[in-house]
Order: sequence, then C-alpha cells, then structure tokens
Amino acid sequence: MKLLTTTILSAGLLAGTVPAQADSLRMSWWGGDARHAQTQEALAVCGQKHGHQIAAEFTGWAGHQERITTQIAGRTEADIMQINWPWLPLFSRDGSGFADLREYSDIIDLSQFTDEQLAGGEMNGVLNGIPTAETGRVYFFNKTVYDAAGLPLPTNWDEVRAAAGKLGDGVMPFEAQGLNAIFLVSTTVTQMTGKDLIDPETTTVAWTPEELAEGIRFYQSLVEDGAIRSWQQVAGEGNIELFEMRPWAEGRIAGTYEWDSAYAKYADPLGEQELVPVPMLQVDGAVNDGTYRKPSMLFAISKNARNPQAAAQIIDCLLNDPEAVDILKDSRGIPASKVAAARLAEQGGIDPNVQAAHDLVLEGKGPIPSPLNEHPKVREVFGDYLEAVAYDQISADDAAAEMIDEIDRALRSFR
Amino acid sequence: MESRFLGLAYLAPYLIGLLIFTAIPFLGSLYLSFTDYNLIQSPVWTGLDNFRELMNDRTFMKSLRVTLLYVFLTVPLKLAFALFIAVILNYRLRAIGFFRTAYYVPSILGGSIAVAVLWRYIFADAGLVNMVLAGLGLEPINWFGDPVNALFTLSLLRTWQFGSAMVIFLAALQAVDKSLYEAAAIDGASKWHSFVHITLPLITPVIFFNLIMQMVQAFQEFNGPYVITGGGPLKSTYLLPLYIYDEAFKNFNMGYASAIAWVLFLIIMALTVVAFWSSKKWVYYAGDKRS
Repeated sequence: MKLLTTTILSAGLLAGTVPAQADSLRMSWWGGDARHAQTQEALAVCGQKHGHQIAAEFTGWAGHQERITTQIAGRTEADIMQINWPWLPLFSRDGSGFADLREYSDIIDLSQFTDEQLAGGEMNGVLNGIPTAETGRVYFFNKTVYDAAGLPLPTNWDEVRAAAGKLGDGVMPFEAQGLNAIFLVSTTVTQMTGKDLIDPETTTVAWTPEELAEGIRFYQSLVEDGAIRSWQQVAGEGNIELFEMRPWAEGRIAGTYEWDSAYAKYADPLGEQELVPVPMLQVDGAVNDGTYRKPSMLFAISKNARNPQAAAQIIDCLLNDPEAVDILKDSRGIPASKVAAARLAEQGGIDPNVQAAHDLVLEGKGPIPSPLNEHPKVREVFGDYLEAVAYDQISADDAAAEMIDEIDRALRSFR
Repeated sequence: MESRFLGLAYLAPYLIGLLIFTAIPFLGSLYLSFTDYNLIQSPVWTGLDNFRELMNDRTFMKSLRVTLLYVFLTVPLKLAFALFIAVILNYRLRAIGFFRTAYYVPSILGGSIAVAVLWRYIFADAGLVNMVLAGLGLEPINWFGDPVNALFTLSLLRTWQFGSAMVIFLAALQAVDKSLYEAAAIDGASKWHSFVHITLPLITPVIFFNLIMQMVQAFQEFNGPYVITGGGPLKSTYLLPLYIYDEAFKNFNMGYASAIAWVLFLIIMALTVVAFWSSKKWVYYAGDKRS
C-alpha cells in the first residue's frame, strides 16, 4: 500500500504538480503606454507574491508579430507571451506551438473562464492560450467635436455623411484607412450578406465578387462624400497610427472604427475631449450588425519555458489575483475572468466608455469570424486592392474578383 | 606563444565574428532558398521552385523596379552632393573644423530609426516642409501620399546622409597636388576648368570607391521605407529588403525570402562587376600610363 501511495504521489509530481521554484522569467506583450505601465506594476506585485523576477519586454503593436516570429524561430521567445488570437493557426496549427495550459490547471484557475472562452484559445484540442478578454470592433466618435458643432452623435451612415463640412474648418467626421478600411468594408459586406469573409465549411471566400464590390463602392462613396479622409490624405501623414497623428489629438478627425479594448490608446491623446462608442452603424437592408467579435489577446506559455510552473503562477496572478486585477483594470479590455470582471464591476474600476463599448460588442449580432480573416496574406491582399481602388488603379468590380481569387489561393494550405 | 600563431590569435575575434554572423547565415540562406521553410517546421527541399515562382511574382517585379529606380536616383544624387559639400569644405574658411564636423554628423545619426521618425514628421502633411511652403504662399505637397514623391522623399533622406562619402572626397581633394592648379592658372584655366580637367580625373579612384559603397548600401535600404512609408503608397517605396522582411517574418516564407535575398545579392554582384569593368575607361590611378 505504501509503495502504491508513493508511486501515485511520484506520478503526480511528474505530471506537473512540482511546486514552482523561484525563478527569473520574461514576459512579452504589445500595447500602449497605459497598458505598459499597468502591466509592469502588476508583474512586480505578482513576482513578489511568488518569489519570481520578471523581465518585461513590451512594444507597440507595429512589428510585434515579426518580433515574436523571430524569437520563436530562434527559440528565444519569452516564457510568458501575450499573443494575438489569429496567430494560433500560424504558430501552432496542431496545438504543439505553445505549452498546453491544461497541464497547469492546478496552478491556473481555469474555472474562472467559460468553456467557449477557453475553446477560443485551443488549437487541435490543446489549450494554447487563455483569453484575457473578448473584443470586437466598435465605432468611436469624438463627442466634444460633435457637441461643439451642435450635431448629435451619428446613429447611421447618412448622419456621418451629413456631418461632412459641418464640424469645423478641416475637421473630418471619420477615418478608416489601411486596416480600418479592411474592417469597414468587411463589416459592410457582412451586414449586407450575413456571412463572414471566410466560409468555415470550405475555408474559401464566402462572398461573391458582386457582394464584395458593393462593399468597396460603399466605402468609396463615403470618401467621395467627404465623410472619410481619402487614402492619399492619410498616407500623407506617413507610416503612423491614427492615435499618434496630430489631427487626431487635435480633434480634426472625429471618429474611427477600433477594438473596444483599444479605447484608452485612442482616448488618452485627446486630453479633455471625450471619445465615446456608438451602436453599430448599419448599411441599408442590413441583415445583422456585422459585429466582428473574437477572443482578444491571449496569455500563453512558451513550449521552451524552463520553468512553466512559475510562468503559470504569474499568468494566474495576472488574470485572477485581486491585487493584480486592481492594477490592470481594463487595460486589456473587460477581463474574461469571472472573478476579475466581478471585482472591477464592484469597485467601479472600469471606464464607463470601455464598458459601454464592450456591451456593444457583446450585444452585436454577426457570424463567428474565422481567425484566418487576420492571416497576414489575407490582410495584405485585401489592403493592397482597397488601396489600388482608392488610387484609381482598378475598378471596384475587378478588384473584388481578383481579391477573391488571391485570398482563395492564400487559404489553400489551410483546407 | 609561437609567432606564427600570434597573428592568428589577433585575427581570431574578427574571424569568429565573421564566421558566426556572416559566413554561416550566408550559406544558411543559400540552402534555405531551395526549401519551403515556414520557421516553425523543418525546411523541405523544393529545388528551384522558389526561383521559378519569383519570375511570376508581380510584387517581386514591382519591388525590383522600385529598388532599381531608388538606387539609380539616390546614388548619383548623393555622390554629387557629397562632392559638392566636400569642395566647399576644402576651402580655407573660418571655423572650417566646426563645419566639417557639423556636416558629418547626419551620417552618424543617419541609419537610425530616430532620424527616420524625424524625417516622417518633417515631410508629413502638416510637417515642417509644408509649413515653410505655406509660409511662402505655395500649395502644400503630399510627400508620402503620392507614389512619385514618396520615393523621392526617401531618396532625399539617404542623400542627406552624405557625411561618410563627403569625408572620403575631402581627403582625396586634399591629396591633389596644388602645383597642378597653379600651372593651370598660369595657363589661364578657370576654376571650373581646373575642377573638370584636374580635380575630377585625379579623384576618380575615390569616386569609384564611393560609387560601389553607396550602391551596395542603397540596395540594402530598409529603415527609411519601413518607418516612414511602410512601403506604400501602392508599393511605390516597397524596396526589396522590405519585401524580404515581410515574406520572412510576416508571411512565414523564409525559403522564399532567402531566394529573393540571393537574387538581390546577384544583382548587386552583377552591377559591381559592370562598375569594375567600366572603371578601366574612366578611373585613373597614380602612375597610369594613359594620356
């Protein structure tokens, strides 16, 4: 009996219940200034609680994927990584790209997450990442600018068009170029057809060329009506994100289409001006809201981590520990963890605009998007053709047909 | 230590660095160019497939055209400007030491991301250049949003980093024998004639050296387009190093990216060979018997 007990205990130890030793860890993430500061503070608290030193490696969004790719290829990635949901099929198609977090379920309290939330972090049945939040695209408008012009916040696209020229000298009602243009066109076509770009059954483009061309024409009409800055105008600012642009900070661009979790990044540069979310703007005859909702960023552990138990302790602390939750607040959106969300709601630690934006995401109706919507090649093809249309290099009809062909080719290896 | 090993010991740090950071990656990329390698799984040998695909790749062709245009625009512009400044700094002016240092500084900072960011702000829609144009009553120019202007703006950034070429030109100018100018002056030659018929021929070895160095560097330009334009608009600034980077680290095609890198290497090599071949016609060395 003693032998049996000893064997069972030993097996338990080998299965991953070894208490984590004090260790030096690395954690990488992307974000804005607010997230950087809050995460570093939370890491200091979590590190102290569990006796680990954690080196912080943080950047802006631009270039982060390339950085992670290089690190993973060279096996020099951080022990704990904040990864993007669409990266899962790229880095871990069979689930072996990151550590299986279920092996550390005695350390990470997975009961704080719903099965659906955890399923979003699985590849091939392996739990590769835990979603920090659910996120989605929301229309945000600069209320201060609209108030100053005596206009109500837009509730439909006609009102956005009507605001052109009425918000003040050189003030544009909205901006959607590059990635935002891709999302705006996608949302438009999804509203018109009820379908996501990618058919989950066949992994091919679900839209017809006519449907896509209609979405592109709708976007172009907004530019022509002066509701959206033209692609050429935005390119004139250089390769820079909207929240870093002077016209945005000065309130000369009065709206955008962004992730709900990115609220602070866009609201902070505005200073005293107030940025607010509005319900989904719809095209005529919309069959749904076209809401693009997905698991937000995930916390993952490197499969090469020397001490995955220690990394798991830190992840659990960041997601579920009351002290860390108080520090991190809604820096990654409204937390998916039940205990964290309840604590923040109880303490009023969530910015009302972030909460409102998140509620809009959760209430919005739309098909479940494929992570392949955000595959780099799909994005590149989509963006290149929209740009070509914007520069009058190709018609919307030809662009739609060629775009679908090229995206289908890019998706071939995922069928 | 025996003297025959001493030289080797002194060379060892450099040789080890060359081996680890240049030779091995160089050969590694040659191997990878014949494979399908997505960075996550092991490379799979595909023979010449990557090179065949390149021939039908519209993005590659566009990027190659843009790269050649950039090189042929930037290199002459930069060499001419560096020589022009070097000639001015060769005069005996008050505080010449200060000016020589001041004009060299941009090339110390030149390759950095910070300068590219600064350039982005200077030429942005509401940037310094357009503010000056507005002050002069001129229409603002869309420097980055217009495909033609965007490449030219990047070319200007590279031209502005003329310091290293300028210093080499300056050294060459100072080595020209002054008695030749005195003899030409006695014969009634103007300053311009002296420059064209004495200075230029005598510094052709240095012009040739700078030409090769600047051409190789221009083909490898990455920071400018990456930070300032992201390769746009309409891929008008999408230089080959940017395409290599995107294919390798965004699209996970390290094999294909290696193939592009090798094509770029062969182009640089071919142009260098052409430059060396043509140098027999226009580069004059000391003791050269040609008249």
